[in-house]
Amino acid sequence: MMLVFLIIGSLCVWRFPDRDMKEIFDADAYQTVFVSMSEQQQDEIEKRLGDELDPDETEFKFYPVTKNDEHIGTVSTHLGKGQYGAIEVVVGLVENPESGVASIKAVRIQRDREKAHNALHSSTFLNQFIDLTVENDFIVGEDIQAAEEGAEKSSAAVAFAVKKILIVYEVLMKEE
Amino acid sequence: MNLLKFALKNLIHRKVRTGITILSIGIAIAILFTVMTFNKGYETSLKDQIQKMGIHIMVIPIGCPYEAASLILKGGEIPNYLPQSVLRDITKMDEIEIAAPVLIHGIVKPEEGRTDIYAGIDSSMFKLKNWWRINGNFFQKENDIILGGDASLIELSKTGDQIYLPEYDKVFDVVGVLDQTGTEDDGFFYLSLSTAQQLFGLEQKITGINIRLRNPEMASVVARRLEEIPEVEVITMSELLGTMLSLVGSVRTLILSIVIIIIAISSFSVFNTILMSVFERKREIGIMTATGASRFHIFSLIWLESLLLSFVGGIVGFVIAIVASHGIENIVKRFLPLAPRESVVSLEPEIFMYSLVFIIAIGLVAGFYPAFFASRRRPTETLRGE
Repeated sequence: MMLVFLIIGSLCVWRFPDRDMKEIFDADAYQTVFVSMSEQQQDEIEKRLGDELDPDETEFKFYPVTKNDEHIGTVSTHLGKGQYGAIEVVVGLVENPESGVASIKAVRIQRDREKAHNALHSSTFLNQFIDLTVENDFIVGEDIQAAEEGAEKSSAAVAFAVKKILIVYEVLMKEE
Repeated sequence: MNLLKFALKNLIHRKVRTGITILSIGIAIAILFTVMTFNKGYETSLKDQIQKMGIHIMVIPIGCPYEAASLILKGGEIPNYLPQSVLRDITKMDEIEIAAPVLIHGIVKPEEGRTDIYAGIDSSMFKLKNWWRINGNFFQKENDIILGGDASLIELSKTGDQIYLPEYDKVFDVVGVLDQTGTEDDGFFYLSLSTAQQLFGLEQKITGINIRLRNPEMASVVARRLEEIPEVEVITMSELLGTMLSLVGSVRTLILSIVIIIIAISSFSVFNTILMSVFERKREIGIMTATGASRFHIFSLIWLESLLLSFVGGIVGFVIAIVASHGIENIVKRFLPLAPRESVVSLEPEIFMYSLVFIIAIGLVAGFYPAFFASRRRPTETLRGE
């Protein structure tokens, strides 16, 4: 049962690609890219994340988005545990053309059952992530302010998801 | 050179045409084989599922029995309710071992493209479904919730966690998680009956009562007595099974009809391939006849080619079926109502044998006329170029 838990735990579909793609990037198309991970890459991700990946997380899905056939960014999703159930996060990334460093273009929450639902979905909370890179710590209370008082755990779940996506992107996609 | 080698050589000589014909038969046989195995597994699975429920009779509000089928197998929500007082009348009957009430309520979440199904139950449901294994405890407080195996996975929640119902602004403590059962029960969020009634504003109402009898053979007798209670519909499990099988029967017939059309087209393809081959080899056949081959030899050779073509196509079909059966099953499931979630395709030797006989029959029927046509040709006609 625990094994199944972990397997399902890391699976997250992108529920509203057309809407998110338009809102985040004003893009007109996307692709789905599956990226496998070597043991070395896994070690690096876990080291930088400060946490272990789920045992089944050997492959990640990214969605490069395009406008007029030009690559303008990448979307990725994450399913994690919030305070009152699962939280699914959608993250839009852009790469700096000169430095190649990926930063956050936008963050959306596509599923949750948190008490702080409205605060978590607010632009006040989500816009804090814009322009952050893998170099940031994503610590709630420091880099990121909690969505509202009492929502520290929910906010931390979102921050962790964003950080994890950035690290995985950095380690896997930049080497692709 | 014997007939078999000769027939093989003729087929190999026309690689592209032979290959396409074999592939068309292969695909048709793969679909037939998968549909047949699916069909058998489907009925068995349905019967097993109903038996596994340990329910002999269901009491539901007056309505369509299909709704009951939906309620039991898919957790669908019935828009009508029974007064809970019906339960008191039912439990008085000596023949009834367990009467487990349930209140089903769905919360639609269009933004997330899903519906959460909540079931209000009491301890009698655990007695009825005595195969349920719970990691944790039964409800002790008003705000306790038990998660089905899948619900737990979807919410990444386990015993000791909390679940918030934003629609009702209420936090529940997860006191237990059910082990996976492989049934629709896995997807439910379970609340105590009284909590569910209060939460959903359906006080003293229930969606249905699942009944287990002391003696299952008394089902029809008890059902007749239950029907005397006003405003209830009584369904025995044998009726339910019949209803469900007839419900899926029409769709199954449609799918089988499509498969038969595909096979007919494939048979015509064999017929066409062999007949074309005969026309192209008129001269060769004429020479064979002139040099002593009998009509029987010619007939056998052409018929054997047709048989070989079908047989190899059939083998290719079996390989495709083994490799792609689950993919084909998923496509078939889309068209079948109440299809079980788990895979029901099992590659049984009995069905393999039936399919093999069917393939041979295709070969024999499709090749008969070309073989007959070839064997009736006179060598003089052929050699004159007619």
